Amino acid sequence: MKTVSRMSSITRRKLLEASAATAALAAFPAPLIAQTKPFAGVTLHGASFQHRFFTLLQKYIPEFEEQTGMKVDLQLSAFPVYNQQANLELSSGGSAYDFVNVTFILAARWVAAGLLADLNEFTNDPNLTPAEWNPKDFVEGAQVPYRDAKGGTYGYSWEGGAMLMGLSRMDLMEKKGLKIPKTFAELQQVCAEINGTDGVAGITSFQLHHWNLPPYIQGFGGNIFKKPPGDIMPALNTPETIQGIEFYANLLRSAPKGVLTYTEDQARQSLLTGRANIFIHSSAWVTPILLSEESKVKETSRVVRSPAGPVHDHPASNSQGLGIPKNAKNKKAAWEFIKWALSPEISMRLVKEHGHSSVCRRSIITSDDYRKLNTVNGQDLGALYLEVLELPAKGDNYMAYRTVKEFPIVGDVLNKTFEQVATGQLPAKDAMNAAQDQAIAALRRAGTQL
Amino acid sequence: MSQSGIDGERRRFIAFALAPSLIVLFAVAVLPAIYLVVTSLTPFQLTTPGSATDFSAPLRNYALLPGDPRFVNSLAVQAKLSFWGVLFQVLFGMLLALLLNVPSRFVEFARTFFLIPMVLPPIVVAVIWKLIYTPDISPLYYAAQALHFTMPALTSSVDFALTAIIIADTWEWLPFTFLMVLAALQTIPNEYSEAALVDGASTLQIFWYVTLPFITPILVVSGMFRLIDSVKAFPLIFLLTSGGPGTVTEVTNYYAYLLAFDTNEIGYSSAVTVVMLLLVAGISLGLVWMGRRREALA
Repeated sequence: MKTVSRMSSITRRKLLEASAATAALAAFPAPLIAQTKPFAGVTLHGASFQHRFFTLLQKYIPEFEEQTGMKVDLQLSAFPVYNQQANLELSSGGSAYDFVNVTFILAARWVAAGLLADLNEFTNDPNLTPAEWNPKDFVEGAQVPYRDAKGGTYGYSWEGGAMLMGLSRMDLMEKKGLKIPKTFAELQQVCAEINGTDGVAGITSFQLHHWNLPPYIQGFGGNIFKKPPGDIMPALNTPETIQGIEFYANLLRSAPKGVLTYTEDQARQSLLTGRANIFIHSSAWVTPILLSEESKVKETSRVVRSPAGPVHDHPASNSQGLGIPKNAKNKKAAWEFIKWALSPEISMRLVKEHGHSSVCRRSIITSDDYRKLNTVNGQDLGALYLEVLELPAKGDNYMAYRTVKEFPIVGDVLNKTFEQVATGQLPAKDAMNAAQDQAIAALRRAGTQL
Repeated sequence: MSQSGIDGERRRFIAFALAPSLIVLFAVAVLPAIYLVVTSLTPFQLTTPGSATDFSAPLRNYALLPGDPRFVNSLAVQAKLSFWGVLFQVLFGMLLALLLNVPSRFVEFARTFFLIPMVLPPIVVAVIWKLIYTPDISPLYYAAQALHFTMPALTSSVDFALTAIIIADTWEWLPFTFLMVLAALQTIPNEYSEAALVDGASTLQIFWYVTLPFITPILVVSGMFRLIDSVKAFPLIFLLTSGGPGTVTEVTNYYAYLLAFDTNEIGYSSAVTVVMLLLVAGISLGLVWMGRRREALA
């Protein structure tokens, strides 16, 4: 019994000593660890749609994890799948994600419904955001969708899209004595004259008509809503809107067969192979005619500003942002990630190491390194990109139509109606009158006060 | 133990044995259906807080449906798609079964070959037809070009888009009716047709008076299954036409999808889905009733 008792007492003492040592170890080195790895043990959950930006970023994430001690669980899905998942998650007040992609077309909805955290709380705190991170460095036009009327900021843009015009067969145009079109009328003429020459279509496009069409509507002086974001009464049957619809429907007569069901990839491919001469879309889809290895028309291509309408010159632009859900569990850690992912250093590395040029930091886009990398055959693509991306923030924010939460409803009606006009099912005026009624009915059904 | 006691015991045992399956069935089938019906009574919009539990005007969505031209159009498109799709599948499936109902090694191989479309995942079928219908890359269009024949872009043509979907749907599901009819044909005793031959009946008369009465119940059952299934032609429409051009191929389930996931009108979309569910249930019950009546008359 004695032996047992002695053994028991030794064990207890050892246990006490060990506990004390562990407590001491835990108490003293802890601040040191906290200073170097402030988020050790945190697993950050984020989500976005699949995009080259994130594929590239994933290569750098281990460095971030090493610096901060946190683990990043980034879930990437197809664009529509992500939008559905995130929309449901945020709308139901879920806290599954610490950071999310704030998709351009959902931004206004999420901001208006208060589903995102105001990032000004982080940028205004010098302990959380150093001065050199400079939130004002983000191109203003790309930041417009992520702001509310009170000045809150609900996202920082990681990707900008600026509508440019790519021409793949300048050789054919020169043969025919045609110049780069600068107006709608010239565009119509060039497309009609090139169409069919050497089997080349005059223009190519894709099925997201509510993205491709509004610059023409606005070019003739129309709009999707009367005066968004304040007055969201649809304006689909104004003479200017009808003119824009008719113009774009006529333009697509010079497009390849089946263009109404083309995806973006199909349109891009028809441009890169020189099967279509003109493609007007976001820079990331158009500039590959000069930059991509796949391009068979590098020598005969030009990338320029898209043509101006008789009333306005409103090339479309958009951006995608990173934000933090209102109910996120690890907001500070999420901000740390956003700060890192959109830092000038990472942005520049993406440009230099991977040629990823659609970043939104002005200091990067205007840097010598960026200009050197993005000037091809004497064409400064960065300057074009910046010029278009900034336009909505100058004076009238003409892209506001796309950021109001009611846009998807009206956009869907516009998509369907345009196809009815383009395929000759209805004259433009009748189709747009019906579209106006349908849009109003659909908005009212959805609870919108008009 | 008395007879009624034994019966009671048996009933309790049956109920006890069935309970787990019924609970699972209730959880996976009945609960979501109840949720769907409940949601259809609200103006649920994802970005409108509180709308999921707003029952102030429970029949509002249903009252709006008859005045919604896209919903009405989608029903008509669905009816056309179902009618022509089922007709071709039953007709061609039967013809193919009649053609291949012969004992031969080659025919056996051909039968297996014909079943492939049915076992492919629907999205793969849609991708195959996307390739066939895309003018730039389709062998169909290359062949037409070689023959100096101009083909319209089928999936974006007002006149051909729905036909294009019907063709793809028929290709996918024809093997089902083929298989059903072939199985029925193989159960017909040879004596009947031999007797008819001896009586001087022609091949057409043998088919009409001997074969067809035998396979009619199978044709009805196959048609019913295909009719119910035709409402689910979603992947083909999603990938080939997106419901277009305009609303030419916009069937009801695609419209419900757009409402729920494009414009976030979950409540209204649920109402559309409930109506669709009732229509399918009504048609199914009608066909079952017709089958029973036919049996009773026979």
